[in-house]
Amino acid sequence: MTEHAKPPRAAFAPFMMGHHFGVPFHRDLQRRIIEDCLDLVVTAEQSGTIRDLPLTWAQARREGMEIERRLGLRG
Amino acid sequence: MTATSEPGPMGEGRQQLRPGLWATVNERYPGSMITKRDLVPLAPLGKPLSECRLTFVSTSGVQAKGSVPFDTVHPVGDYSFRRVPSASRVDELEIHQLKYPTADAHRDLNVIFPIERLQELAAEGVIGGLTEHFFTFIGYNMDPERLERTLAEDIAAAVSDEGADIALAAPA
Repeated sequence: MTEHAKPPRAAFAPFMMGHHFGVPFHRDLQRRIIEDCLDLVVTAEQSGTIRDLPLTWAQARREGMEIERRLGLRG
Repeated sequence: MTATSEPGPMGEGRQQLRPGLWATVNERYPGSMITKRDLVPLAPLGKPLSECRLTFVSTSGVQAKGSVPFDTVHPVGDYSFRRVPSASRVDELEIHQLKYPTADAHRDLNVIFPIERLQELAAEGVIGGLTEHFFTFIGYNMDPERLERTLAEDIAAAVSDEGADIALAAPA
């Protein structure tokens, strides 16, 4: 979709719909995705740049569940 | 920063997670998908990030409680947008959109509307600040030409009026 809309800079996180900034209570991941976007603003050299963020849904989910366990939100 | 793979512009060399998805949607709903033929010129950042005012534009349907809800069931979509005060607390906001899973966003709105992370980045001076408002609409709009002519232009004008140096735009 992004390739068709052709924004000047884009970062792609391979996450489910409704989770473009990560998983609940995973502040570090949410922040990192924004920081990666900000880095792209500074470093992109060509319009149409799409940066694949080195993330996986499985890892984000695992880390999120661990955080929820630590917070006592998940057994 | 971590290392990233970076295919060329226009996506050459990118691996598609769901190949053919765009064509499938466009076939089922002819004319509903945005296709731009040209890349817009890249606007260089004229000053350090720490001096830049950032705005956030989102298709999440997040809006301030008490504002007019988006029309989430209109057959061709809702072409209006809402101004969301960037100083809002999460408990002052709600979601009016049916077209994406919201269960996790209801537990932590930041997964789709990272207002607390953006407030933190501004407070720490990573960015220079936030515009007074963020801008939201719903991502179900079946007429991309109308969207570009009305909603996109309206939001672009509002973003400009608020003096944004950077716009972070995210789908939902």
